[in-house]
Amino acid sequence: MIIDPQFIWNGLVVGSLIALAGLGLTLLFGLLNFINIAYGDYMAMGAYFALAANVRLDLPIVVSILIGAVGGGALAVVVHKAIFSKFMDRDPIVLLVVSIGMAFILRNVIRIVWSTDPRYYAVPVEEGPSFLGITFLPEQVAIIAMSLIVLGLLFLLLHRTRIGIAMRAASDDTDLARLRGIDTKRLVIYISLVGGIIAALAGIMLGLDSNLRPNMGFIALIPIFAAVILGGIGDPTGAVIGGYVIGIGQEVSVAFIPSEYKPVVGLVLLIIGLLTRPDGLFGEATR
Amino acid sequence: MVVSFSLVMVTLIIIGIYAILAIGMNMHWGDTGLLNFAHAGFFAVGAYTSAILTTPVGDAGLLASRTVGFDFPIVVGMIAAPITAGLFGLLLGITSIRLDGDYLAIVTLAGAETARLIISNEAWLTSGVQTLNNIPRPLDESLPAVLPYDVFYFGLVLLVLLGSYALFRHFANAPFGRVLHAIREDEDVPKALGKDTAWFKLKSFALGAALAGLAGSLWAHYVYAIQPTMFLSNLTFSIWAMVIIGGAGSYFGAVAGAVIVTGIRQITRFLPGDIPLGNELPYLRLIIIGVLLIAVLYYRPHGMFGDKERSLAGMSGGGN
Repeated sequence: MIIDPQFIWNGLVVGSLIALAGLGLTLLFGLLNFINIAYGDYMAMGAYFALAANVRLDLPIVVSILIGAVGGGALAVVVHKAIFSKFMDRDPIVLLVVSIGMAFILRNVIRIVWSTDPRYYAVPVEEGPSFLGITFLPEQVAIIAMSLIVLGLLFLLLHRTRIGIAMRAASDDTDLARLRGIDTKRLVIYISLVGGIIAALAGIMLGLDSNLRPNMGFIALIPIFAAVILGGIGDPTGAVIGGYVIGIGQEVSVAFIPSEYKPVVGLVLLIIGLLTRPDGLFGEATR
Repeated sequence: MVVSFSLVMVTLIIIGIYAILAIGMNMHWGDTGLLNFAHAGFFAVGAYTSAILTTPVGDAGLLASRTVGFDFPIVVGMIAAPITAGLFGLLLGITSIRLDGDYLAIVTLAGAETARLIISNEAWLTSGVQTLNNIPRPLDESLPAVLPYDVFYFGLVLLVLLGSYALFRHFANAPFGRVLHAIREDEDVPKALGKDTAWFKLKSFALGAALAGLAGSLWAHYVYAIQPTMFLSNLTFSIWAMVIIGGAGSYFGAVAGAVIVTGIRQITRFLPGDIPLGNELPYLRLIIIGVLLIAVLYYRPHGMFGDKERSLAGMSGGGN
């Protein structure tokens, strides 16, 4: 059976999105050690910040994306400082439940400020060129380009800068990093900032791909978690690969199963992954 | 503020059904320490099982062509609902119950979403995204005229609530429950004593799921018409809020939490519609629940009526 190349292209688009969002989530998880359900709502908030800049203030989309990203980063830092940091000495599961409360708050703030109607960015709708039987929509190309740029920058940050190397060290073993003189408290703020920026960018990409809704991030959360767990929680490279595996898997599955069941692909891959390789694809999970 | 009697009864019925859901969740989280995020899914499976078994074919959706329906008596639905929901819990549990705490949360969350996806897409069975309606109400029209229907139905819900409260409390205090508590505190201990902990966790999971299925059946037969959007994961999170606010590990706390959270969600029904921010009220009350949840975790980690002896992993601090 030959698979339509369009599905693979679509899979690359969705995969880029999941990979980027998964990278942000896994970075946060690596250092903070709890599952943050509000991450999906950071994504949505970032997307709506960009919407406000783009539609309300009539700014060009590129500027709006930057504003959205900064807003998302600031939001994650504020939420961490105001809420999560008060619970850092508690069990990770308490933090998970706290993040549920936080998700309730953020999502309903969005509903009050921006209503529940679907919203769209003011970007020109253009037809994409097509060759080799694949149609390349401009927003799809933009999503892949954005994601590759951000992934590249993050790679440089994590491997070439002192702060990035400290982040990886602390994510690997927080106590050891602290013993070696790394200020892990300050690092948590930096990582919240980076995680929030990435979440916002992923949310904006999601909004560009279709539209903005208050629960957009929450709905996207399951494949993102699947990617993170598949790649091994806390392993940045694994999360990116996991994201592409799930994105392409979901889109290609359309050739075999009804498209309504696309989201199930992530779940099935997740369960298979958990049962066969509980430490992730590369066995480098931090727990 | 005009409080009408029928509105009070509707609210009490909803509180009762949510309290039954919270009791099941308390067995999972409060007694066993399992992170179940699939409760809305169990509730949905129960509601749909009962609805499909008690309605005739094709009588349901307007456009959807539902080709399965049995028109059985209501009692059949009410017996079958906990069975199918329990089996769904068992199925989900078999794949994931051995997983570490928060992995289980993600798999169960995804499992509940999958159940909702199936309900939304298999129209031949469930009417799909449309409402499955004309679900019969027990003893409708055969009650004496002096007894309002909602009073009767509240009596039925209360009966089930008290029954499940007594039963689950009994389970929790029985040797079975003591093993569950031991698993919650430190799974290695009962394991070392030769208990098959995975099997105990599976039983706990299936029991709580079955109770959620029964609640689903009560819900379906009260509201006549059900649709997939009634069973979003938000419901699961609300039930979590009930158990945590009330106090994990205490069945009384679970019921109290259901009264508090459902009370906040329903209280605005009693306010006149023209007050400021009237349109935003549904969202404001969810924000209030979020704030309350965080505040309770901060100021009273064991909840309002929680089990103070519950040293659980979750509630007393300390590492993994």
